[in-house]
Amino acid sequence: MFERCSLRVRRWWQLTETWRLIDLEYRDNPFLNLAVEEAIPRMVGEGKAPNTVRLWHNSNTIVIGCFQSALLEVDFDACKETGTTVVRRFTGGGAVYHDAGNLNYAISLKKSHPLVPESDLQLVFQKLSEGTVQGLRSLGVQAEFQPINDIQVNGRKVSGAAGSIRWGAIFHHGCILVSSDLAILGKVLNVPKIKLAEKNVASVQKRVTTVRNELGRDVSTREVQTAIVHGIEASYRVRLEEDELSKEELALAEDLYLSKYRRPEWNLKP
Amino acid sequence: MMGSLRAYDYKAAGGKLVRVRLTEEEGKVKSVQISGDFFLLPEDSLPTLEKMLEGTALQESDLRKVIGRFFETGHVQSLGVSGDDLVRALLSASEEMVAAD
Repeated sequence: MFERCSLRVRRWWQLTETWRLIDLEYRDNPFLNLAVEEAIPRMVGEGKAPNTVRLWHNSNTIVIGCFQSALLEVDFDACKETGTTVVRRFTGGGAVYHDAGNLNYAISLKKSHPLVPESDLQLVFQKLSEGTVQGLRSLGVQAEFQPINDIQVNGRKVSGAAGSIRWGAIFHHGCILVSSDLAILGKVLNVPKIKLAEKNVASVQKRVTTVRNELGRDVSTREVQTAIVHGIEASYRVRLEEDELSKEELALAEDLYLSKYRRPEWNLKP
Repeated sequence: MMGSLRAYDYKAAGGKLVRVRLTEEEGKVKSVQISGDFFLLPEDSLPTLEKMLEGTALQESDLRKVIGRFFETGHVQSLGVSGDDLVRALLSASEEMVAAD
């Protein structure tokens, strides 16, 4: 009996791999935040960095998908009024609003990782949302993955994800609405009428929710962060170990910041 | 000669939005901008598609041929939007003179 148990423990231990946990963020510089977001999977793909989870925040920012038109998606007057910055990410998907009540997570794995052995983006979203779903459930939020790329609670979106398979890496990132200001979110995004009609609701505020709304109490992004870390560890049988970016990663992030993310030509493409 | 501007927001069967802004000249695409909240891999393939569409007749069979070639030769993977959606979005845009939204 004892031997069987110890064998199981040993097998569990052997299956467990260690991923790097990064909490580097530049809250007041969303352009640099997005540059770091790209630098990590590039280095993971090249084999110069280990599999990595990053948790981070932005101050008031609209992050638009790489295929979106800034002119069509963003209400620039409302952005000016509310002090909201617009930045484009390197992944597809829709525009999201970030503020201090929003927790962002990003998972970068070497391509062909056993969790997502095939180059299938839908599978990436499904598998790499599991840790977040589990983390939210541990807090008491009845979260469910909703294809293509959402996590919902009772039909309302609490987290949206985007991702890519490139540079030899699998990349998945998402934002979790913890206690975000949904009123500003409703103002700064031009959600096309056709999209709202299809969801059968009158405004963006009515089709999203926050962790705070669902729990009916104040909750910090730190509390959610701890739950997500545990959710990821349990879902994927990994240990997350806090570490820092290498000098090479920081240099790459700075290059990307200067050549791409701080430039209006990239962020505000019509 | 100036082409006429056409615009259409098309809701793809996969749930994502395809926003087409195109200039038409003599029944053909003069230039086109495709945007939206869909996913395409590789990401830098979209400008290639826009370029490939220039000069294409706004007819279903012609559009289908070009878009099929785009997916095949570029080894493009899409999520939330299909080649069929792109064809329909372009055809819908070609019938719309007034900008959507």
